[in-house]
Amino acid sequence: MSPLGFSIEQRDCLQEIINVAMGLASDKLARFLNTFVHLQVPSIALVGATAIPDEFEHRYQDAEATLVSQGFFGNEGVRGEAIVLYQMDNAHRISALLGYEPGDVSEIEMLTDISSILTTTFLNGLAAQIENSLSYSAPRVLSSRHSNVADVLKATSFHWEHALKVDISYQLIDHSFNCDMILLIPGEAVSNIKTILDRILEAY
Amino acid sequence: MAMPVLICDDSILARKQVRKSLPESFDAEVQTAGNGLEALQILRSQEIGLVFLDLTMPELDGIGVLEAIRAEAIDCFVIVISADIQPEMQKRVMELGALAFIQKPVSDEKLGIILKQYGLI
Repeated sequence: MSPLGFSIEQRDCLQEIINVAMGLASDKLARFLNTFVHLQVPSIALVGATAIPDEFEHRYQDAEATLVSQGFFGNEGVRGEAIVLYQMDNAHRISALLGYEPGDVSEIEMLTDISSILTTTFLNGLAAQIENSLSYSAPRVLSSRHSNVADVLKATSFHWEHALKVDISYQLIDHSFNCDMILLIPGEAVSNIKTILDRILEAY
Repeated sequence: MAMPVLICDDSILARKQVRKSLPESFDAEVQTAGNGLEALQILRSQEIGLVFLDLTMPELDGIGVLEAIRAEAIDCFVIVISADIQPEMQKRVMELGALAFIQKPVSDEKLGIILKQYGLI
């Protein structure tokens, strides 16, 4: 059993569902940016939500970062908050690719668009595989250059119990672009997820 | 006679999905591999008629397997089953000699159409 009690089979099942959802999201991103994305297997981990700020503080310590957050809710008590984190130097590369000037006001709009594409395509792909359907709130930009990433994450994650951390790395053909996606989910969602995974596993 | 079939995917679930999607009328003798290197070991030492191949895998990915199959002139049909559905990727695997591309998750219908199309069932 891994932390929070996923069996090897449940973990493998969740990983594959996420891989398929990521494939859909990457395809959308590639079309949006008109480029090719080298798909890598995202590493996933289920952690306590309180551990999230510390985990990301280190990675984003010295870098300007932007967080875009979007709430989602569906059937069977599936709900949560999806956060996409970017380092701004990465974001500048993408905005250059799309023809924006660095620091452009619309650069934040661009990140909101990209986040929304990634989040909704990913989550729709995930929902389809578990025979659910999701609704979304409008994306919110939680932080830009002047705030500390850990503080913002703390403020967002404190009322959630668990977080499904999905480390995504997109290698674009001539630009490297990394971002992290975090799905914050309430406590009961973990046992719901396990029930859903077991149902899928039973079918095979 | 049963056709020797290799299912190559790093996911246990994905391997089971492929196995379960094979039609009953398809007489297959199924082996599995968890990555590209394992697949190549089997392909080099045994006669395999048909390979179901994932693309995104550790050790050696599906593109690497397709390149090796071509370079070593290994005689087998390859059907790629992948989550990486970008048109450029689909084009690339077809150029490398894959018979068909199936978008994950695989299903009876998707697999049945392809197997019928190529006279395998």
